Amino acid sequence: MAILAPPAHAADPTPEITVGTQEVGLTAGYLLPERLTKHHVTKQQGPAIMPSWMITLTDPIGDGWYRGQVLIGAEVVYIQSQEPVLTHGIGFTPKIEYTFTADNQIRPYVEFAGGPFWTDLGDKIPEESFEMNFILTAGVGISYFVTSQASMNVGYRFQYFSNAGTSYPNYGINSSLPSGGFSFCFLVGAPGDTTTLTTVDTCPHWLHRPLGR
Amino acid sequence: MTRALTGFIALLAGDCSHWIELTDQPTPLLPSQTTVASDLRVPLLLETVPITQNGAPLGVSPTLERQVLGAFEATQLFSQYFQSGHAQPAPSQAYVTLRLSMNNRVGPHSGETACRGFVIGASMFLLAPVISLDYDYGAEMALEVERWDGQVKQYTASSSGSAHYSLFGASPHVIKELTGQVTDACLASLLEQFVRDHTFYLADGSSQSEPTIHTVSVGVRRPTADAHPVSTNAPVSSQ
Repeated sequence: MAILAPPAHAADPTPEITVGTQEVGLTAGYLLPERLTKHHVTKQQGPAIMPSWMITLTDPIGDGWYRGQVLIGAEVVYIQSQEPVLTHGIGFTPKIEYTFTADNQIRPYVEFAGGPFWTDLGDKIPEESFEMNFILTAGVGISYFVTSQASMNVGYRFQYFSNAGTSYPNYGINSSLPSGGFSFCFLVGAPGDTTTLTTVDTCPHWLHRPLGR
Repeated sequence: MTRALTGFIALLAGDCSHWIELTDQPTPLLPSQTTVASDLRVPLLLETVPITQNGAPLGVSPTLERQVLGAFEATQLFSQYFQSGHAQPAPSQAYVTLRLSMNNRVGPHSGETACRGFVIGASMFLLAPVISLDYDYGAEMALEVERWDGQVKQYTASSSGSAHYSLFGASPHVIKELTGQVTDACLASLLEQFVRDHTFYLADGSSQSEPTIHTVSVGVRRPTADAHPVSTNAPVSSQ
């Protein structure tokens, strides 16, 4: 593993995020119920923890305020519902994120994630009847880079899970999830300086040295 | 084409994280032997190399300037090598001035890459080994060489290539390797043209005079393959 910026740049919080830059993070929040229809009566709430990994797929796209980069990755979602009963849920969700890079240090993002989600809340509430579900997440947030590699994040997510019609009733559960956390960016397998334009030696190898010197 | 197919199959098999395909390669020529009398050689001055990317100014790259100067130095066709902004030849001295400009053409396929990334994520990363991501890069160089008496010759060269990599092989070093190989090929093409005219840059326009003769072997790299499969586990390095 190599560090994104050399130690001399450690005080510069401007991140150099390029294609292949990876990011690990930990986000925590508190789940709040969103009862959108008359069928939704459960006031589920409790803490959530989401460790994540992402990789940057693109160079910055576009110009102006919407200039940004696409990342994909995955996260593990753990949700403990303390109301109406103590239950646990865990899921694995691939995610895609668009980070706005117009500002170097403060970078808003939008994210979408979805995947399988198991929770024993499923058979304890009137909206859901099965423990195996699928969770979908849409969120927005802001990353504040405190160093060139580390950032603090705050955001809001809207979450929905249901069992995709594998069992009834299946009204789904909607939740709001304000959250905060931190991320750390790094490169894997980086053999040295990342700032040079090319990898060619100063003296190209296709030119032979003088024979008679 | 066969090598490209081999590279892709290797990618599918999972034993390659990326491979690079160069196009527009210079026509490979046989290495030539050039004999240059040392008293005919004059100093060379490389002026600052402006770089543009897709036509937009990108500034200068000291690394590229060192690379270019090193390439010309390796020909041993000149007596001294100067870089603009550093030591200069004496004003009364006859010398050759190089003015090189470079334009990069970058094709990151960002939209396509984002869509493929979405598909890879939706497949729970199961398709990561079989969906390759692409990055195109091209370089165009224009070289103007001015002799001490004001005579000017101009040369142009271009080269381009593509890097294909899997999601887990995505790395800035793949891009660096691509840009390095493309720049390498472009500079080789330019140098090949320049060396053909080397007598024009000698003090009396001849390369066969005595007394002190150094034999200089100048050759252009002969591309060995259209595609270069690269091992997954080893750190990426240029060839």
